[in-house]
Amino acid sequence: MLNEILSALVAVATLQNLLIMIAGIWGGVIVGAIPGMTGTMAVTLALPFTFYMDPVPSILLLVALYKGSTYGGSVSAILIKTPGTASAACTALDGYPLAQQGKAGKALNMALYSSVTGDFISNLSLIFFAAPLAVLALRIGPPEFFMLMLFALTTVAGVSGSSLLMGLVSAALGLLLATVGEDMYGSFRFAFTPDMQAGLSIAPVLIGLFALPELIKLVVMRATKQEEAATLGAQHVTRAEFMGSLKTILKGSVIGSVLGAIPGIGPSSAAFFSYGEAQRSSKKGANFGKGELEGIAASESANNGACGATMIPLLALGVPGDVITGVMLGAFMIQGLTPGPLLFQTNIHEVYMLLIGMLVSSVLLFFAGKITMRMFAKVSHIPQTLLTPLVLLLCVFGIYSIASSPFDVAVLLVMGVVGFIMFLLNIPAAPFLIAFILGPMLEENLRRALAISRGEPAVLLSSPITWVFAALIAFVLFITVRREVQKFKTERRVEQ
Amino acid sequence: MPKPVLRGLIIVAFFALTAFILVPAYVPRPAFIPGFAPPPDMWPRTVSLAGIVLGMLALLLALFRPQADESPLETDGSSRARMAGRFAGLMLAFVLFLVAIPLLGFLVSTMLLTLSIVLMTGERGHRIWIALLAFGAPILLQLFFHSALGTQFPKGVLTKPFGF
Amino acid sequence: MKKILGTIAMAVIAATGPAAAQDYPDQAVTLVVPYGPGGASDLAGRALAETAQPFLGQPVTVMNKPGAGGMNGARSVSEADPDGYTLLLARVGMALSPAVTPDNAVAWDAYSFLGALEATPMILAVRADAPYDSVEDLVAAIAESEGRMTYAASGATAIDGFTTQALLADNDLDPLTAATLVPYKGGGALATALLGGHVDFVAMAAGSLMPHIESGDLKALMVFAPKRMDTLPDVATAAELGYEKAGQIAGWSALYGPKDLPEEVTAKWQEVLAEVATDEKWLELAANRGSISTIGDVDMSDYAQSQYELFHGLAKDFGYLPN
Repeated sequence: MLNEILSALVAVATLQNLLIMIAGIWGGVIVGAIPGMTGTMAVTLALPFTFYMDPVPSILLLVALYKGSTYGGSVSAILIKTPGTASAACTALDGYPLAQQGKAGKALNMALYSSVTGDFISNLSLIFFAAPLAVLALRIGPPEFFMLMLFALTTVAGVSGSSLLMGLVSAALGLLLATVGEDMYGSFRFAFTPDMQAGLSIAPVLIGLFALPELIKLVVMRATKQEEAATLGAQHVTRAEFMGSLKTILKGSVIGSVLGAIPGIGPSSAAFFSYGEAQRSSKKGANFGKGELEGIAASESANNGACGATMIPLLALGVPGDVITGVMLGAFMIQGLTPGPLLFQTNIHEVYMLLIGMLVSSVLLFFAGKITMRMFAKVSHIPQTLLTPLVLLLCVFGIYSIASSPFDVAVLLVMGVVGFIMFLLNIPAAPFLIAFILGPMLEENLRRALAISRGEPAVLLSSPITWVFAALIAFVLFITVRREVQKFKTERRVEQ
Repeated sequence: MPKPVLRGLIIVAFFALTAFILVPAYVPRPAFIPGFAPPPDMWPRTVSLAGIVLGMLALLLALFRPQADESPLETDGSSRARMAGRFAGLMLAFVLFLVAIPLLGFLVSTMLLTLSIVLMTGERGHRIWIALLAFGAPILLQLFFHSALGTQFPKGVLTKPFGF
Repeated sequence: MKKILGTIAMAVIAATGPAAAQDYPDQAVTLVVPYGPGGASDLAGRALAETAQPFLGQPVTVMNKPGAGGMNGARSVSEADPDGYTLLLARVGMALSPAVTPDNAVAWDAYSFLGALEATPMILAVRADAPYDSVEDLVAAIAESEGRMTYAASGATAIDGFTTQALLADNDLDPLTAATLVPYKGGGALATALLGGHVDFVAMAAGSLMPHIESGDLKALMVFAPKRMDTLPDVATAAELGYEKAGQIAGWSALYGPKDLPEEVTAKWQEVLAEVATDEKWLELAANRGSISTIGDVDMSDYAQSQYELFHGLAKDFGYLPN
């Protein structure tokens, strides 16, 4: 084994490979950081080039783009509240308030450190635990998946802000909107126009809900408060701050690595899961959502942690966990490598080259992040009245380009208006988005489980994994209810 | 009407509309589904019924335990009517934009949208920057997306002879 | 006003139409793939885009438009300008959907048929530790279970659901209730459901199953294809085993355009496809994704019609449509 690793190390350590990875990581970070452009876009864009490259460099390029764009999403989430990917939505919850307080540098650095740590741990778990995690992933059937997603949905309680009730209303709206389009048995729900048969895509809903209300607020209320953006250099994350969040970062990395290994979960759900968990266990839990570095740490360590781990089902089972790994599967096949159980026997040399390359790219991510951060930090010098329309312009072009669909652009604008109305009514937007992303997984797995059990609901508590999650859900419900009751009592005391 | 009461009413009304009108009308049964498997309307119906309950709860709380008003919105001090007018203007711009895409093409429509939105934010200085943002940026973006991703942006019926 | 606009528009189209058709192609051609990136259809589309480019003289850009069982992308192409710059990577779904759900699908003949591309075999598979070694064993177990056995498919009226239902119908079992369909999205998810033991069998595209059959985790019982697969020489086809309905089902890809394509465009693509048919890269990529190139082997409009009629008949048989 050692010999194989050494020979793989020699084979991968070429200037060409290094340049490809630098280009991939940096390109990914930049694409992820530009509002309206997504990692999927970057990966599909690069796919035709890989036809003419050797197998290992071409996969390394795609992995680098994936990692880079997942981190890059946090930059625009923090600076302009426009998460580049859904997995950065929780980052925006704490990052944007920090940026408004003039602490964008701290937030960006914390996001970078957490992403790199999460990424590195995830790659290690890919190297050492790929086989057991792949076996675990296979054990996750519809009932287990449903309970897991239900637990992830309890994060809603944490992102509801001042009113849990309004958070739940927002989540219900998100669950409802996610049902638009073709359901698993082929009936078209709420398809008022033919375009709606395909359902609503995540990208226009996400950007419409988070970024556009800022624009509408600017136009309608014109409350421009310009803080002087402090220079980034003076805003390092202090040692104490990093150590304070270290536990959260490590926990987020592990959550990301385990959840990422289960096909279909992906970085966004992992980030929600980790954010909810960090908020419940942190001493500073009450400050989450108002500009808490630990919140950024939780979200970013988990989404990049999931990034590397999605390679586990891809390599070990040949099963892509999301759209991007789906494109990678295509790239593998075109190269004549077939991911799956046999890959580790027939192409172990290439697998080691890939793993070593991925570890190296974690390190590259650190430097690419540092440089890009400085470039993008300058956006805070652009006046709001020009920046917000620019963001809209980028989003309109980006969203249109995903599927050449004017309908998606309409969804973007309509969701912006919905988001603004929710803002006026003090209904938080984050639970909406979490429910919108988790909703289809919840519903489909519930219906699958009931189809397999022939309508018997006991199937949802039929295995040890489901018992564990049921216990966790009960625990979270208990502490949430207790907290609400306490709040109720103190309010009453204040009144009296 | 105080805002929390209005909010409760809107929530109840929306979910009731969904549960009792939209779900029966717009959730068809599939060609075949086993009798014991949950049908397509199970989930939306459950969620909207839950939404009605939550809305009722919000309404009750608003009526019987009125809380101190949440922090007021930050504005530039304009009157409500003026802000409503600005909102209506923005909605009109969005609608006109969507209508304009097939007529004027994607490029010209985005230019007009960007220009009108910048002006609506109240920005009157930085003339050169406004011009660059409204006219230069869409051209650059269109060139970029067309050459990098091969996106074909819709040409307008009226502007087709000029090539965009 | 409307009238004036209309007149101007007509004049414009009249002025630019013929000019644009001369010297086809003078710009990039968009190939719409009506399913998500990374799947078997996406790979076929990208392989065509890559190999056709040198013969066409212009780049072919792939655009994924997934949704509504492929009908989303199909609709956008059938409604596009017939100028030859928007084409469709058609799959068996383009003939299946209109045959099964006539109200919600694009008609099977709402296109110009530029040519067939490939046949994609499908495999009936079970877990390696399952107690069935032949199709008869499996069918006997299904008959005995009274509907308790489960199979994964993209949907009741998707091609990987029709494979199983045709097999059940051939064995005089009720195609809809003799085994329970569990819907999953995408080939990877279907294969995982079987690997994890969450369902009992699948009958789906070979691409996602082959790695697991080769590694010994899954067993192939039967192939849905006109002839045996090179990689599975010992596994019989449905037709060889005497299954009449199942024997006619196979997956395929083809190149379609909007209806009424100009003569020049169809001629150009005939030329290009003839070159692609013998292109080494194309054949190699086809072999890598487990499919067989069929360019030039079948007359596409006849084949599309026969496929539509086959599925329309089956849909009535199975009870999706009134007789």
